[in-house]
Amino acid sequence: MTVTEAPVAIRGSNPPVRRGRGTFRSRVLVPYAMLAPGIILFVAFMAAPIVYTLFLSFQKTKVSGLGLGSGARSTVFAGIDNYVTTLTNTEFGASVGRVLVYGFILIPLMLGLALLFALLLDSRRTRAAGFSRTAIFLPYAVPAVISSLLWGFLYLPAVSPFYFVFDKLGWDVPSLLSSGGVTFAIANIALWGGVGFNMIVMYTSLKSVPSDIYEAAKLDGASEIQIALRIKIPIIAPAIVMTALFSMVATLQVFAEPTTLRPLTNSLSTSWSPLMLVYRDAFTRDDIYSAAATSIVIALVTFAFSFLFLRVVQKRAFGQED
Amino acid sequence: MTTTLVPTRPDRSLRKAERASARTFRQKASPVSTGILIIGAIYCLFPVFWVLMASSKDSSELFSTFTLMPSTHLWDNIVELSQYRDGLFWRWVLNTAIYAGVGALASTWISAISGYVLAKFEFPGKKVVFSILLMGVLVPGVILAIPQYFLLAEVGLTNTMWSVLLPQIISPYGIYLARIYAAASVPTEVIEASRTEGAGELYIFNRIVLPMMGPGLVTIFLFQFVAVWNNFMLPYIMLGDDQLFPVTVGLSGLLNQGASAPSMYTLVITGALLSIIPLIILFLVLQRYWKVDLAAGAVKA
Amino acid sequence: MRTSIRVGAVAMATAAALLMSGCSANTGGGDDGPVKLNYWAWAPNLEKVVDLWNAENPDIQVTVQKQDGGDPAITKLLTAIKAGSGAPDLIQAEYQKIPTLVSSDALADLSEYGAGDIEDSFADGVWDSVTLGSDAIYAIPQDSGPMMFFYRADIFEQLGLTVPTTWDEYAEVARAVHAADPAKYLGTFSSNDAGWFTGMAQQAGASWWGIDGEAWSVDIAETPTETVAGYWGGLVEEGVIDNKPMYTPEWNAGLNNGEQVGWLSAVWAPGVLGGNAADTAGLWKAAPMPQWDVDAPATGNWGGSSTAVTTQSEHQEAATKFATWLNTDAEAVQALVNTSGIYPADAAQAEAALTAPPEFFSNQPDFYEVAAKVADTVSPFTYGPNVNVAYSAYNDEFAKAADAKTQSAFLEAVAAMQKITTDDMKKSGFTVE
Repeated sequence: MTVTEAPVAIRGSNPPVRRGRGTFRSRVLVPYAMLAPGIILFVAFMAAPIVYTLFLSFQKTKVSGLGLGSGARSTVFAGIDNYVTTLTNTEFGASVGRVLVYGFILIPLMLGLALLFALLLDSRRTRAAGFSRTAIFLPYAVPAVISSLLWGFLYLPAVSPFYFVFDKLGWDVPSLLSSGGVTFAIANIALWGGVGFNMIVMYTSLKSVPSDIYEAAKLDGASEIQIALRIKIPIIAPAIVMTALFSMVATLQVFAEPTTLRPLTNSLSTSWSPLMLVYRDAFTRDDIYSAAATSIVIALVTFAFSFLFLRVVQKRAFGQED
Repeated sequence: MTTTLVPTRPDRSLRKAERASARTFRQKASPVSTGILIIGAIYCLFPVFWVLMASSKDSSELFSTFTLMPSTHLWDNIVELSQYRDGLFWRWVLNTAIYAGVGALASTWISAISGYVLAKFEFPGKKVVFSILLMGVLVPGVILAIPQYFLLAEVGLTNTMWSVLLPQIISPYGIYLARIYAAASVPTEVIEASRTEGAGELYIFNRIVLPMMGPGLVTIFLFQFVAVWNNFMLPYIMLGDDQLFPVTVGLSGLLNQGASAPSMYTLVITGALLSIIPLIILFLVLQRYWKVDLAAGAVKA
Repeated sequence: MRTSIRVGAVAMATAAALLMSGCSANTGGGDDGPVKLNYWAWAPNLEKVVDLWNAENPDIQVTVQKQDGGDPAITKLLTAIKAGSGAPDLIQAEYQKIPTLVSSDALADLSEYGAGDIEDSFADGVWDSVTLGSDAIYAIPQDSGPMMFFYRADIFEQLGLTVPTTWDEYAEVARAVHAADPAKYLGTFSSNDAGWFTGMAQQAGASWWGIDGEAWSVDIAETPTETVAGYWGGLVEEGVIDNKPMYTPEWNAGLNNGEQVGWLSAVWAPGVLGGNAADTAGLWKAAPMPQWDVDAPATGNWGGSSTAVTTQSEHQEAATKFATWLNTDAEAVQALVNTSGIYPADAAQAEAALTAPPEFFSNQPDFYEVAAKVADTVSPFTYGPNVNVAYSAYNDEFAKAADAKTQSAFLEAVAAMQKITTDDMKKSGFTVE
């Protein structure tokens, strides 16, 4: 990846504060004191819980006899039993597979639409852009639990306005909540909630590009579409990469939408997504130890993404500093 | 891949940019591009429109009349919802405002100071601290909620407002964004100059750096506000006392009444409508500060 | 920006004040003041019944903290028990949850606080389910849910159908209803309601768990349950019974518009029907369940719960006193019937309290006489310590079966439930036969 720097002084490109004054106090104590609140909260509410999860994942419940009465249940060291269970559990593999399919449907669609909308918003020939931008961004403010409830109503043929129309037209449209359609049903809810956010990210990115560049291209006779494809998209490529990474992480963690839709259909199992499986083991099956092991496996998979992510971010964002 | 680093206008808000471009280069309207955006807008507004229609129906109309046909019971439903358990719904709204509002404010301040330090200071261990914080972005909340419960139970804080507030103040993503904004908008000379004048570090941060990071902080605030407001799992696990519930957990309870009681669909739908409205207003008011300059902002740095 | 920081500070201070009030509302009360008890429950309007108690007992003040129905409250309780703090004093516990809770050491033994005195108020079967056949008493029974058959009397009349008394007749009626109008069904097979299916298996004579000396047995894949599953699988395969879950907006619409012509439910059904299909008031009637053997009428239980005291409660005696009052005092039971719409477990009080039919069934004056007769025929059933596992297996396996719409898939689901439940118990270390 090559970075060509334009010969302009950029306000933000100031070097960090000099190490000049060199006392231990100013060099180490001050920054760490200012970071302290963040670090303390991070340790207490992210690091410690993760370590605790790790600790739980090597334990299991041991019941003796009938298991009734106090003291019949104890916690014992489990070694890697829970991990073996997770990795050999066909339900876990199946849930990962389903989520991958879901991601392959959702991410290109969501980012493609977001990019299209962002480019259209940026086009000077679009009218009512302010209204559209606000309207498309709006669903971001609706919590997934509520949006899934709303879409649930819109999916169920007996109460859906869409099926009312299909019915009137004499079309026999299968329910989106049937086993063939349920992945699309969930992807649609995520699309609805997420397209606006990603659109804004890309649009902001487009806005920070000076219009002189386009003007030059225009003088050379490039059409709007050519400008979009040849100039705009390459310029905001970093933003697209970032939204893609965040979307992938969010995809692996899909939980609220399928959980809310599950009672409405026979097509969603309690282990549809990996996190639903964790939730079921921890809460419905009361086996937090297996759930902890599965969580760790999911976290490791996500961390594989994390390092990819960090590499991309650091190369792009902080390459000059490091 | 080649990226061209270009001069940017970091301080300009979206709306300004739009107005400027509209004035200077207003061109012939394109029905196709306008049309596509309007279709997108309709897609996004349709469920909201549905809620509005549905919340105007009483419970039998909800299941017996055409779904988009408005009725006349909106006010009755609001009254009924307000009377439910002596106005518990409004207590939930207040709780949500506290969790999301206070949580997001605190989170914004902590993200800002952490991001500022990580962007503008050189100190040993900086890279490690940043990398570890950044990894937090990828840990799902559902996984954290259970151990967080156990740890908070150790100090007797479960089933209190703190148990929902405290875990959500730390936001690795907010810190990441704040670092980008600080790098882009805080000139080193200003900090140096203030130091020469003998200003304390906290004073410099609160009085000089914070205002400079302004619009970026609004983004972090909104981002965190939505994150807290969206987080169902944490309050659901932490809270047993329904007086402390946020709206989402409260409404979900009205829906999941157990087999022997009817789900209160009308109340839930009316509640959903009422709880979306303040958010819409918040967004409309603050949206021109939205500046989610994820990567472009990063390139600027 | 500076202004907004100041605004922020004010907001913080206000919130801090609210937080303090939020916290103090939760503490258990000191030595001097009245005993304060927290009660996790989900029965509708229960707080109004509790208000009666609070008015008369200034020394023991009870606060109802309303929970999501059934499962979530128990889940939270188990988490709190594991964490060592955070549990309420009292909890509404469904009968099938009691073995799980006892096994996790979540429930206090109330026999030392004199709860044994009220044994005679309850039927033996109900009492067994709160003692688990031991000398301990883990909860005070509150209500029960004997299953009954509810049907749209108007549509039955219109189609010239008679109320089915056997499952064979039920199948015939289901075919007739669906043939008359393909949109209509006599009922639906719901993969979402494990308690409902358990009740039907119970009617057929199943008892999914058993204690044999010092070992548990798991008896899901036995003749009674297989018969029930095969029966429903056949009807779903034939297409005369719907396969969609209950308690969805779609199902509600069906209750409203007459597409759901019947409902195999329990004695509390009038409350649900009244809430979700108010316009059909007076059109429904209740009858005993269709039978497998008319000479030996039986039914199962769906729902029904008890009031339990947790091991974390610091006021177990006061809590027992309250729980006893709530479920056996004449005034309290009457209030439970009137405001919460439950069917009391205390048989004598029930008879006194249940004089008029529920409002929704005002067309059927003998509603509670039918119910009382049915309640006498509840078959015995033993719940095991991992009902939660069996129930979630039911959800997953029967969802697949209902989706597949074949009888063989229903039978496979039963076998899968048996395997998942047994494996889970063995994995935890229970002695299983």
